[in-house]
Amino acid sequence: MNEPLSPLPLADVLRAANGLVEARLIEDYALGGALAAIHYVEPFATYDADIFFIPSDKGLTAGMPAFYARLKSQGWQVDGEHLMLKGFPVQFLAAQGLTEEAVHEARRIKFEGIPTKVFRAEHIVAIAASVRRKKDLARIEQLLQQAELDQTLLEKILQRHKLKLPKL
Amino acid sequence: MKPEMRRVLARETYEEKIRKVGQLIALARNFPRRTPVRPRPSAPLILSESKVPYHTGRPGKKKN
Repeated sequence: MNEPLSPLPLADVLRAANGLVEARLIEDYALGGALAAIHYVEPFATYDADIFFIPSDKGLTAGMPAFYARLKSQGWQVDGEHLMLKGFPVQFLAAQGLTEEAVHEARRIKFEGIPTKVFRAEHIVAIAASVRRKKDLARIEQLLQQAELDQTLLEKILQRHKLKLPKL
Repeated sequence: MKPEMRRVLARETYEEKIRKVGQLIALARNFPRRTPVRPRPSAPLILSESKVPYHTGRPGKKKN
């Protein structure tokens, strides 16, 4: 039976992600992408949730078949590269390099009482500077204007990953 | 929206901001953005065979 559509069931997504850590199907995770940016800037519409995870299984599949099976057994549906929860698309991305560092150094927060982690604003800027799509440039501009960035930390991250902020 | 107002919105709690994102998603689902109607490119003008001006075809020999 299909679950009712929910515009943004973030609490359910986070509970499920915490369940994956408890079951040791993933080592750790943090919220990245637009939903992480919204932690620091004004709210805006977004199409999906990006969960960056550190795999427990270091093999080629990053343990994805096992945790996909678990989430499917909990009512999630697979739709292309997304897992759907109550009609909301969630993308699980294996973290590596800069995103792995972003997961390790993510801020611990509580969302509706649920403990979780969200990328630091400085890492979101650095990731956007490495990807450089139009929406990434807009995200950088928005974060520079609205978030209270630690400029020293941002410089260190950019230097460590040989990145430069684009000219806006 | 003015930058000061946007900064005020940015300082709201995460829960409140996510609730607003949910509202934006619901709005987008109920009122999907219409793609602008663009005129289709016109078909290339092809003259029918009967209207093609008659050509003698091969260039004639150059007369001295």
